[in-house]
Amino acid sequence: MKDLDVRGQACPLPVVAVKKALDEGGPLRVLLDDGAPRENVRRFAENRGFSVAEAPCEGGYAFTITGSAAAPAPTAPAPSGRGTVMLIGTDRLGDGPEELGRLLMKNFIMTLVETSQLPDRMYFVNTGVLLTAEGSEVIEALTALGNRGVEVASCGICLDFFQKKDKLAAGIVTNMLTIAESLVTAGSVVRI
Amino acid sequence: MVKDGDYVAIFKSVHRVMEAERLLKDRKLPILMIPAPRAIASDCGLGLRYGEEVRREVESALSEAGLLPKELFRKQGEEYLKIQEEP
Repeated sequence: MKDLDVRGQACPLPVVAVKKALDEGGPLRVLLDDGAPRENVRRFAENRGFSVAEAPCEGGYAFTITGSAAAPAPTAPAPSGRGTVMLIGTDRLGDGPEELGRLLMKNFIMTLVETSQLPDRMYFVNTGVLLTAEGSEVIEALTALGNRGVEVASCGICLDFFQKKDKLAAGIVTNMLTIAESLVTAGSVVRI
Repeated sequence: MVKDGDYVAIFKSVHRVMEAERLLKDRKLPILMIPAPRAIASDCGLGLRYGEEVRREVESALSEAGLLPKELFRKQGEEYLKIQEEP
């Protein structure tokens, strides 16, 4: 059984770490904080068809996660690679007036939270990182996506360029190697 | 996106909802433009969300500007109760 300690990590990092570990297979024992991490990890694992047994431990809770992920719906296409990756390279959706483009992008990300089929990873590059930084109006939606197991990650170079490196408010910082590997091995890529 | 007790205002057009958002943000009121929840039919598919604590300020600002919503809903449990409709 694999062990994971995510105590002290803010949401959605515990869910992201647990998702990665479960994707690699096998039962998992994870130590986590009470509160949002405990609730979010349990919901995430149970939604995926795993069983969760919990016991109090020092500084939080210990989850034993067993079983296997529920089979995908029969209508779902079988991806040949690893999951669905969404690459968001702008803070606007579509061509046209800037104000409308920003509104549509906001609406798109918030609507995604309500959909049943989510991407596995969302990578934000170029002005897309303005959506994950302080001041963005979709932080609440991106946090909700993270809590449902979506890995939300922003390009470090881009955050640096826009002087937002210390202003990241949703998800994690990633690098081009990870983005490139993820894109070429993905089952499907959605580019926005 | 919408908590129990929150209000969701629906407007006649995308232009009105954008104008209302601009007005309320200029006044630093904590509102958020959101996709209209599935349970609420909306022509433009957008709404403004706000909490009880700013309801009076939001609605008086909208009224002064002639931007009253077409419909106003309050979330109660899993349902959206229509509490106001434009005559």
